[in-house]
Amino acid sequence: MSDAKQTIAQKSAKIAAGAVVCVESEIRGDVTIGARTVVHPKARIIAEAGPIIIGEGNLIEEQALIINSYPENILPDADGAEPKAMTIGTNNVFEVGCVSQALKIGDNNVIESKADLGRNVILTSGCIIGACCQINTCEVVPENTVVYGSNSMRRTQSEKPQPQTLQLDFLMKILPNYHHVKKTVKGSGAPLRN
Amino acid sequence: MASLLQPNRVVYLVRGEKNIIAPLSQLYFCRYCSELRSLECVSHEVDSHYCPSCLENMPSAEAKLKKNRCANCFDCPCCMHTLSTRATNIPAPVPDDPTKTTMKKAYYLACGFCRWTSRDVGMADKSVASGGWQEPENPHAQRIGKLIEYYQQLAHREKQERDRKKLTRRRQCMPLAFSEKYGLGTRLQRQRPGAPLSNLAGLSLKEGEDQKEISIEPAQALDEVEPLPEDFYTRPVSLPEVTTLRQRLLQPDFQPAGASQLHPRHKHLLMKRSLRCRKCEHNLSKPEFNPTSIKFKIQLVAVSYIPEVRIMSIPNLRYMKESQVLLTLTNPVENITHVSLAACEEDDPDDINRTAQVILVPNTQLVLAGKDAAAEYDELAEPQDFQDDPDVVAFRKSNKIGFFIKVIPQKEEDTDVTVAFKMRHDFRNLAAPVRPSDEGGDAAAEAIWLTHHVELRLGPLAP
Repeated sequence: MSDAKQTIAQKSAKIAAGAVVCVESEIRGDVTIGARTVVHPKARIIAEAGPIIIGEGNLIEEQALIINSYPENILPDADGAEPKAMTIGTNNVFEVGCVSQALKIGDNNVIESKADLGRNVILTSGCIIGACCQINTCEVVPENTVVYGSNSMRRTQSEKPQPQTLQLDFLMKILPNYHHVKKTVKGSGAPLRN
Repeated sequence: MASLLQPNRVVYLVRGEKNIIAPLSQLYFCRYCSELRSLECVSHEVDSHYCPSCLENMPSAEAKLKKNRCANCFDCPCCMHTLSTRATNIPAPVPDDPTKTTMKKAYYLACGFCRWTSRDVGMADKSVASGGWQEPENPHAQRIGKLIEYYQQLAHREKQERDRKKLTRRRQCMPLAFSEKYGLGTRLQRQRPGAPLSNLAGLSLKEGEDQKEISIEPAQALDEVEPLPEDFYTRPVSLPEVTTLRQRLLQPDFQPAGASQLHPRHKHLLMKRSLRCRKCEHNLSKPEFNPTSIKFKIQLVAVSYIPEVRIMSIPNLRYMKESQVLLTLTNPVENITHVSLAACEEDDPDDINRTAQVILVPNTQLVLAGKDAAAEYDELAEPQDFQDDPDVVAFRKSNKIGFFIKVIPQKEEDTDVTVAFKMRHDFRNLAAPVRPSDEGGDAAAEAIWLTHHVELRLGPLAP
């Protein structure tokens, strides 16, 4: 995370030990990735207008786009554009092709393929945003909400979605066999093969 | 542009009881009457029932018993998707030793689309993978059953009286030909619109049974209605708990207002249907019995008999200016077809949608080569030489030909320029029995000339 005294933002991503981030993924800007998180190749995490902090146990699949960008009507050099940090909690799943600009995402959420989250949405925990659903309202989505269907209908489910521990373990074993993995900071416990 | 190939751009006119305009891909061709038929001028008959998710076939009698529902598959009450059975491991006490617990499999239903599970409505997990799920009983089932019995008996009695009257007039050898099970199957029964309750007549008691009199008590009208709860107007509505109209009406037995009472229902069966021409009673379309097969035993679709016109390119259309539109004609049959186009007459009764004038060179006959499936592999074949007028024919490729027509839009502010013309082609009826010719020469089938009215939608005028 950038210090208040540093004027130049951190250039490279800070990847915790135990995370598997493929080299083909595009990570730009000030991004912190927690342990046991898997970032697939061709995923894009872009921190333009502020840092992105990603928690542990997340699964970010191919062509997912997590972007902290400037709102459309504010130019990058205008005054008052403070960098806002985007926080993503633990055990979230960002499926293939989804776009997330939400500034605050809690735990155990599933954002399905090609879903689109606007900047002013705040996801609590246990939410499932269905495939191709768009949420660009300014609201806090309550817990355990499921958004589904072409009209983005909503309903509440009784329990949160299961964390994808099996999938994460499998990927953390298999992905380094076929892809180069980015180096983690602070001396790695996980074996790296270049 | 892919939008030029949309099916409703080129439509054909079907002359039946009423004139129907439809694209060629949705039409059928009766080769015994030599006419185009649409879905509204054929009779639909049920062939077989099947479940769309497990593809299980069911004879019609069994389907009627199960109310046209599958026994194994369920529909999500929330989004109408198919439910899948999922298993979890739960610790359960071993019967011998209550202190130890062993993992047992428990099954629950879950929807992959909206994430509804059977636990949401309080249905307990079952220990069997299939067959353990029950639909809730309709509270009025008894009353409805009694009413149905009473009316069945009434219908049976009426049917018997009717048959007795008919028998006294007709010969003895046709006793029960009229009492078809489905009532409206044959032409005879269809032309009697006043026949009362003939649908239920076939389902009732057999001939020899004693007919006990069933009486029903009439329904009682209530004066008082249950009052609304007191906080009905003040309590805030929690939208996730209220069912939508669609969810409610899919279960007409209960019509639950709360989402916690939405129980899954068995999946509806779909049916395969066969189509029959109303004039000559020949089958136009008969699918295979097996639900996994998409082929047809009889498939008399229009696309395989009538040459198809498609739009290839449209230039900028301007009001009162002549433009050339490129169309293609494809020959679906294997012999050479001659097509001639004619503009519609001034007072043509079929020609109501036209907004532009077509100018076609008179007396042109376009020759289409037959469809030859092996042509691309046969390198030694000489290309057939057709003398093509370069003003009319743009290109020629196996059984396809591209030709020009000239269009003059007549309306100033036209959002959809529509053009119509008549297409006349020869059709060799290979279905009719070939009469042995006296000369002993080639017994080619006789060619008859068919005329179709074709309309094209060319889109808006260029700004």
